Amino acid sequence: MSYAAAETAPVAAGHYQATEVTKTFGSVSVLRGVSLTLRPGRIHTMMGENGAGKSTLFKILSGLLRPTTGELRLDGAPVAFSAPHDAHQRGIYLVPQEPALMPELTVAETMFVGQLPTRAGFPRRVDWPGLRRQAQQALSSLGLAIDVGQLARHLSIAQQQQVECAKALLRGCRIILFDEPTSPLTSHEVERLFGIMRRLRDDGCTLGFISHRMDEVLDISDDISVLRDGALVDTVDRSGFDRVRLLSQMVGREMRVIPRRTASFSTGRPMLQVEGLAHAPRFHDVGFTLHEGEVLGLAGLVGAGRTEIAETIFGIRTPDAGHVRLGGDEITGLAPHAIIRRGLVYVPEDRARHGAILPMTITENITSGLLDRLRQRFGLIDRNDEDRTGAAIVTQYRVRCAGIDQPLRQLSGGNQQKVVFGKWMGLQPRVAILDEPTRGVDVGAKDEIYELIEELAKAGLAILVISSEMEELVRLCDRVLSIYEGRIVAEIEGADITPARVGQSYLSRDGLAA
Amino acid sequence: MTTLPLPAAGVPEREMSAAAPRRSRREVREITLIVATALTIVTVGLFNHGFMSTQNLRFMLLNSVVLSLVALGQTLVIATRGIDLSVAPVMGLTAVVTGLLAQSSGLPLVGAVGIAIVLGLLLGTLNGLLVARLAIPPIITTLGTYSLYSGLVFVYSNGTQVDSVPRAYATLGNGFVAPFIPVPIAVVVLAVALLLVWFMLNHTRFGRAILAVGNNDAAAYNAGIGVTGVKVRVYALSGLLAAIAGLMFVCYTGSATVTTGTGDHVELQSIAVALIGGTAIAGGRGNVVGTVLGSLFLSVILTALVFIHVPPIWYSAGEGLMILVTVTAGMRQNRGGAN
Repeated sequence: MSYAAAETAPVAAGHYQATEVTKTFGSVSVLRGVSLTLRPGRIHTMMGENGAGKSTLFKILSGLLRPTTGELRLDGAPVAFSAPHDAHQRGIYLVPQEPALMPELTVAETMFVGQLPTRAGFPRRVDWPGLRRQAQQALSSLGLAIDVGQLARHLSIAQQQQVECAKALLRGCRIILFDEPTSPLTSHEVERLFGIMRRLRDDGCTLGFISHRMDEVLDISDDISVLRDGALVDTVDRSGFDRVRLLSQMVGREMRVIPRRTASFSTGRPMLQVEGLAHAPRFHDVGFTLHEGEVLGLAGLVGAGRTEIAETIFGIRTPDAGHVRLGGDEITGLAPHAIIRRGLVYVPEDRARHGAILPMTITENITSGLLDRLRQRFGLIDRNDEDRTGAAIVTQYRVRCAGIDQPLRQLSGGNQQKVVFGKWMGLQPRVAILDEPTRGVDVGAKDEIYELIEELAKAGLAILVISSEMEELVRLCDRVLSIYEGRIVAEIEGADITPARVGQSYLSRDGLAA
Repeated sequence: MTTLPLPAAGVPEREMSAAAPRRSRREVREITLIVATALTIVTVGLFNHGFMSTQNLRFMLLNSVVLSLVALGQTLVIATRGIDLSVAPVMGLTAVVTGLLAQSSGLPLVGAVGIAIVLGLLLGTLNGLLVARLAIPPIITTLGTYSLYSGLVFVYSNGTQVDSVPRAYATLGNGFVAPFIPVPIAVVVLAVALLLVWFMLNHTRFGRAILAVGNNDAAAYNAGIGVTGVKVRVYALSGLLAAIAGLMFVCYTGSATVTTGTGDHVELQSIAVALIGGTAIAGGRGNVVGTVLGSLFLSVILTALVFIHVPPIWYSAGEGLMILVTVTAGMRQNRGGAN
């Protein structure tokens, strides 16, 4: 197969239709009967909260996953793919958010992987000059100036996405799906990508797009479909675009959230003061004060820079600029262990990787962070004291378990999280940063964790909560800061903390002003 | 495809920057190795003129042939992000089987070549199937087959060993192409193998698929590359090259025992020279010319140890030290080229 194959590839009219597509993983249902049609010359955007099923849908459309039930039709004829390669041959290409790189190959070669052009004759050899020429032309036709002779590892993510677009065209693909391409990009890079997308659309390609950012979605889309909990809520075209309505469709379910009775802490004793903190390119000029007994929320999209802010405060990352003070003392640039000793703890999002040691027992997990505080005899840890400490925390944090010697992995997600909390709170910190404190915790246990957080706050702990769930922020926080592309764009206080306001506040760089 | 023609009208835009790194790293590596080898030869030669004699140079070249052949296969395996520890016993088994048959029943050389090819492909394919089909990690797979194949050498030899080989074998191992052309036949064998493997890796679809798999096997699969088939064939090739190396070994030395290959840790040497030659242990990058230059460099260093009167008990430690230094220096060179 030589490059000529690309020219004989189906010049599809490009109507790509999904009918009643469902997808289940084990017992978890991710897509529930989604039906929609992508049309040539249009950019069709999927919107929805995290976990709504947008990416899964695109993976099914592009052959990475197979639907559990339902049907795909390309220009009226049913199609089924066993691998992405099959989808490419039918003219469908997925541009992932962070394209799978072949770092040690040249850009030109990566564009032709799997179908290198060869020269006739024996032995059949790769046509390197032809390959480079075609690769360079494909990029030029999109207005891109990327040296195809350099190694792919030197490309930025934006360039990788651009190369993927050219790759789709080289493979004769006219249905191109973009899975949340803009979240790792700067605004300048987004404009460039949109330029390419418009060019492809005007040329009659069928484009699919996923994004959380309301501004850019309204800017570039011709059609918008809203997904919620794996089901299609609505599809509207440009005439039906309405920011507020889309938002309420995304959030959807009745908000039966009882907000915390909030208090104003601006006159209270400041515990954590952050000033002009920056870590390019992830966040810039972040400043806030967290007071004793206050629960402050950080709202934002995944990738907005919230975790990076927390990691910088905690000393995992070194800031480019700015100051962090803990109870008045400068802690900027200290290492995490020094910061912990001064009374600030960070409970990270990925419990299994950073917080919990699953094969070890509950007690061992709890005491692993405070071994030097246990009573010792001749330099050896007093096991009785260790057990007492473990038992005390299990009781205080209402961990449901068979006994304190049970391995942590046997507990449910919620109880594991309580143990992790107990471990950190055993250090008696003054400030705690909780990153997605209820990730992987079932609904019933969530409430218990919320109650624990409230009790800790009542006892005077200053708490910074990072959460992607609006209900959680509404339920817990006295104050919410909204982060968009690494900047604080809104501050919401007291009674203003409602799902709608919080949800709207971090979707654009204008915060609530828009 | 109507208004978006490919190829597009107009000249490709100017390249981003003249300084954009190209594929020059390889050439840099090869030049470094050639210079290092030459410097070693000249430096040691200044103190001991015998080191620079034609005879010794030829000896060092000949001495690197066996390792080079093994390491060519190893390079391909590492390029797929794998590793093949079983090359040492595959080499040893082939040496013992062909050598004993030649010694006891006068097996003609053609037959020995046939046996080497079959044996190498067979043992290599078994590795490949375990790695690619059963998805056992390469280091575990080949650690297992290392023991298995070593065991077969004991079973087959049953306490006997090869002490001498027929004339045809010895000629293949030590003879010249022609009396008036003082080029060893073994070096020609290596040159042909290098040319074939180099061409395959750099100019055929299969070769490029090896590198694609090593870069990112999931992405390679998504692009329509038969990843399983590529891996099986690469391990088969590694077995084949190790078996040919075994045959060349018995022809060159006229002897083979149960510790041939494994005793010298050929598996580790072959990995080391591949890395010295610029192949990435993380896969995706393979430099076969560098591999051969690397094993030549190793051969020169080992011979130099003899010439500068290092006590023999230090050879192994010296070899290890030199491998550590070179691999580390090579990795620094790569990192320098990365940005």
